[in-house]
Amino acid sequence: SLPPVLRFPCAVHQLLDPGRFSHLGTQAPQCPVAHLDNQVPTERTRAISRTLENDPAKHGEQHVGQHYNISIQELKTVFPHGLPPRFVMQVKTFNEACLMVRKPALELLHYLKNTNFAHPAVRYVLYGEKGTGKTLSLCHIIHFCAKQDWLILHIPDAHLWVKNCRDLLQSTYNKQRFDQPLEASIWLKNFKTANERFLSQIKVQDKYVWNKRESTEKGSPLAEVVEQGIMRVRNATDAVGIVLKELKRQSSLGVFRLLVAVDGVNALWGRTTLKREDKSPITPEELALIYNLRKMVKNDWQGGAIVLTVSQTGSLFKPRKAYLPQELLGKEGFDTLDPFIPILVSNYNPKEFEGCIQYYLENNWLQHEKAHTEEGKKELLFLSNRNPGLLERLCAYL
Amino acid sequence: MRGDGWGEGSPNRAFIMFRLLQGKVLFFTSLSLDYFHLKHSACAKQSLLLEYTVKILKLCGLTQVRWSRYGPEYQDPQIDKEYYRKPLAQLTEEETYERELRKTQVIKAAPATKTSSVFEDPVISKFTNMMMKGGNKILARSLMTQTLEAVKRKQFEKYHAASAEEQATVERNPYTIFHQALKNCEPVIGLVPILKGGHFYQVPVPLAERRRRFLAMKWMITECREKKPRRMLMPEKLSQELLEAFCNRGPVIKRKHDMHKMAEANRALAHYRWW
Repeated sequence: SLPPVLRFPCAVHQLLDPGRFSHLGTQAPQCPVAHLDNQVPTERTRAISRTLENDPAKHGEQHVGQHYNISIQELKTVFPHGLPPRFVMQVKTFNEACLMVRKPALELLHYLKNTNFAHPAVRYVLYGEKGTGKTLSLCHIIHFCAKQDWLILHIPDAHLWVKNCRDLLQSTYNKQRFDQPLEASIWLKNFKTANERFLSQIKVQDKYVWNKRESTEKGSPLAEVVEQGIMRVRNATDAVGIVLKELKRQSSLGVFRLLVAVDGVNALWGRTTLKREDKSPITPEELALIYNLRKMVKNDWQGGAIVLTVSQTGSLFKPRKAYLPQELLGKEGFDTLDPFIPILVSNYNPKEFEGCIQYYLENNWLQHEKAHTEEGKKELLFLSNRNPGLLERLCAYL
Repeated sequence: MRGDGWGEGSPNRAFIMFRLLQGKVLFFTSLSLDYFHLKHSACAKQSLLLEYTVKILKLCGLTQVRWSRYGPEYQDPQIDKEYYRKPLAQLTEEETYERELRKTQVIKAAPATKTSSVFEDPVISKFTNMMMKGGNKILARSLMTQTLEAVKRKQFEKYHAASAEEQATVERNPYTIFHQALKNCEPVIGLVPILKGGHFYQVPVPLAERRRRFLAMKWMITECREKKPRRMLMPEKLSQELLEAFCNRGPVIKRKHDMHKMAEANRALAHYRWW
């Protein structure tokens, strides 16, 4: 944090002109900006690329292009799954997790701050070309909601549930549907890590019989259902279904606020690559996990919000250049999700690009001597076309 | 005429590949025109040099094997951006003369692999080409970039784990590590099979600069391909080997030392070399 010497002039400003700074919270980031001329160039680069405001609730227009820090403990609790793999590698290499504040995320934060929890849940869809930052914007939103003590229902990648599944069991609950024990149990483990404190508070409102010997009574905490799903992998899919049903029912009562975050929601209405024993293809409705998730994404419940991402990476049977929601969701998906608020995530603007490059330079990630020069920066701009994903991959080997 | 790929070929030397008309031996020769005091431009000198070399070699019963479709009048392209950015007012007389001359000359097409990028490195390009199999340059280049990234990440890990004094010694630039590792792997002296009295003897011979570079890269690639564990990917193995060679240990350095020891053992045969 800043030494007290720099804070003092800001306080003086506030006394002389109380109308200028309307809230105390943004005092900290204003100070480095105010003293640009007096400071060493390293301080200036820090002012461009980093902000000291680590609470997503207080991020505003002035923080666009700046990175804010998430502590490693928070990362482990809030994001046991859901971060893009390259970002996880970057966190491991730099020993710190810094996320950039960008306009689409700020827009969504503004909407979430002004949600009316008495109305049905609003659906927001983040869309954009490959590598523009949809997943990380979603993670920004999830971090905000976790800080505001919402219950986070985060499906890291719905595409993983419709492909490459080794063991498909016939569902015990409904003979027509299929269970995916492995995926369901992994998701339950991560869900438990993210929402420990809620699981003991929320009580189940029905009796659920697992088999002849085991059952969950009415009024027992949700943690028992989750434990049952993790212990008995065969019942994991049904446990997931129960969790989703209970959360949907009880969020309308106003006990807690629910955020449903699904990455790659176009997987719910596409095709799967899974086949039955007689080689006939399985449609997504026949998978119990997908069937229950579709009910979650409908806007017939109150007390929360639904934030979705459509992505072509990982999608099945969709052309590479498709990025619009209509193209990726298909007719069925679009009709089910309609009406929703689309939010476009595009490439970096010049300020964000500069901030990203400064962040890499500060962490000494750009080791090539020419990368520090103006020529090098121009070349990076040209090669990446300001696309965040491409820029990250370019800077990785420079 | 050999092109300027490594930047060492001065215009006054001609390296030509040729073979004996009857036999299968292939070796280099070089002729120098340093005593050529004529006031000819570089291109005229080169074409004359080529003509004379070919005539002399034909006399010895040798023909050219590796040759270029470009005639001697074709000039090498100027890829450097700085050359063209110099404002015309700042050029000296010689440079203006050279520019005017180039306008009249025919220029070879620049190869697709040579770019005016600031990040281009001829050593890395050469290594990528040597790693390439079946013309799959995309795969070779991606392997190269993944290797550089792996080297960088490993060094960053080491940096963060080290204490404050040691942090100054940890090298994090993958390009310096790559160059230093290859330099450490270059042998100083090599062995050449020479036929004498019906037997082939391994004779110690000083190696040319580019032969040394080639051997270092070849040994590195062969080592990584053959001694790799089954499920390990090439970038991981290559990064491991590069880091070990940077610290002067590992199997490639051992191979270089073995070569030196063999040369030392066979030093009695050094008289068999006649060049």
